Amino acid sequence: MSDFLNAYSIQTWLESCPQGYLMDTEYGHAADAREPDLVLENPVVRQEAIGTTVQLLVGERAALAASSGLINAAPDHPSKRFLATQTLDEARHVEIFTQRLYDLGVKKAELEDVIAAHASPHLVRFAEVLLEKVDKGDFVAGVVGQNIVLEGLAFSVFEMMHAGNVEANPKFAQTLAGTIADERRHVGFGENRIGSLIKQHPEKRPEIEQMQKDMSYHMLATFADRFRGQAAAMEESRRISRDAAAQRGEGAKSQQWHGTDLASADPAELEAVLADTVLKEFKIRLDRIGLEYQTPERP
Amino acid sequence: MSLETEEVHARDHEAFLEEVHSFEFWFQSVEGYLSHHPYGVDPETPLPELEDAERASLIASLSTYCVGEAAALDGASGMIAFAPNHAAKIFLATQVADEARHLEVMLHRLAELGVDDARATFEARAHPSLIAFRDRLLEFVAARDWEASVFAQNVILESMEFAAFHSHMQTADPRTSQILSGVLKDERRHMGFGENDLGRHLAHSPGAHERLREIKHELDPLVLATFEESLDAIGLPRGERPEVGRLYLETVARLGFDT
Repeated sequence: MSDFLNAYSIQTWLESCPQGYLMDTEYGHAADAREPDLVLENPVVRQEAIGTTVQLLVGERAALAASSGLINAAPDHPSKRFLATQTLDEARHVEIFTQRLYDLGVKKAELEDVIAAHASPHLVRFAEVLLEKVDKGDFVAGVVGQNIVLEGLAFSVFEMMHAGNVEANPKFAQTLAGTIADERRHVGFGENRIGSLIKQHPEKRPEIEQMQKDMSYHMLATFADRFRGQAAAMEESRRISRDAAAQRGEGAKSQQWHGTDLASADPAELEAVLADTVLKEFKIRLDRIGLEYQTPERP
Repeated sequence: MSLETEEVHARDHEAFLEEVHSFEFWFQSVEGYLSHHPYGVDPETPLPELEDAERASLIASLSTYCVGEAAALDGASGMIAFAPNHAAKIFLATQVADEARHLEVMLHRLAELGVDDARATFEARAHPSLIAFRDRLLEFVAARDWEASVFAQNVILESMEFAAFHSHMQTADPRTSQILSGVLKDERRHMGFGENDLGRHLAHSPGAHERLREIKHELDPLVLATFEESLDAIGLPRGERPEVGRLYLETVARLGFDT
């Protein structure tokens, strides 16, 4: 066990993250990078960007609470040490998404009201299901909930957003690239650490599998809220991007992600590809650690 | 000062605190002294040869320090759950990573000294007074007692460590000295947070002062006994020891806690 955990030392984290892919960045992107005018100047697109960023921030606040809360419950020092790096990663994610809200014009004094107005109630409930386990000091359930389910969700969401923003919003794409690198590490810890603990505690399987089912339902409901509720904003955003590209003499560019063109797929298709990708990854990862994936109800 | 000017200063101060407690500030700060210093040491610095007694003393001291750092790791991470605002949560997250790094670099130094399983044995080698202090700190954290936790951890524990490491650094071998130098830079930030947070709290809650004075009286004997035991281990002459206690007492005195 300790061999793979040696790869999660503070020194390794320092060299790969702050001294690696975060070098010469501020809030996860180049210092002079700005949100594109088409986001800032179009109220529909700007509101959609704010709404999306609020969901990311709510998720990261939950991840910060979970990773820090799990340190005291960790059964060994190397796990505590890894979770310390994850705690700081999540704090950084909270900070960079908060900063993005400010970059999008949200005033500091309005921040909590904006979050309350936009946060999906299902995402809030998703976080609550996880934090109930963390608050009880349940390390095994907490790591599955956080490092397999929550981080697995975040990884796919960030990848999809990155694919959709790499041309249109390089600042946001660079921010997401850093978070993707972090989440890869977090998911890796979950898979590697938990398998042996689940073998030692097979009696915990039903409870953890139920938690996974509940969290997956709320995750799917969050996707439904966002994609079905934001169809008009997405179309407006695409229209502006197409017009801007036409003015530059460029044609529409495809943004392929898991076989779907993000630039032209309708909201239902986008919701489906994201949900299918996340759930497929859940099945694979849960199987690797000796848990049986539970199919959630569809909202 | 007019109310409007006061409000501007209050907002400016809040913005200042948000900045200095941010990940971004931590990131820019540590880059300067952690870059090219794996495990806190310039790789060109040779491993010193130590006499047996010197080596044994250093192992005892580092083991005690590990208890303090492990306590601060558990303390800071536990406090995030009940921190009063998001800026405090983010600051504590930077402190969590700092404390984990401190523990790692000290364990690494112990391994260099030939201690085979330092992680499993440091508590057994550490001084009992510090173990008792740690247990009390973690009781405050388990009780979600913010003012007691910040006071015990970011004022008392951090200033105790600051004083001890500062003294030790003067006589330590070059590798140990470099490690302690980097740790001290972090501790300054942690103490600053504690003084700032509690200073504002005490200004608005004068009743808290008496409570924290009682906590300090409870913890002082453990602090001073830990100093005595640690300074014996590093061989600091008795004539210089009052300086270490003075550094600690000066720090807590800035919050209005005189002996």
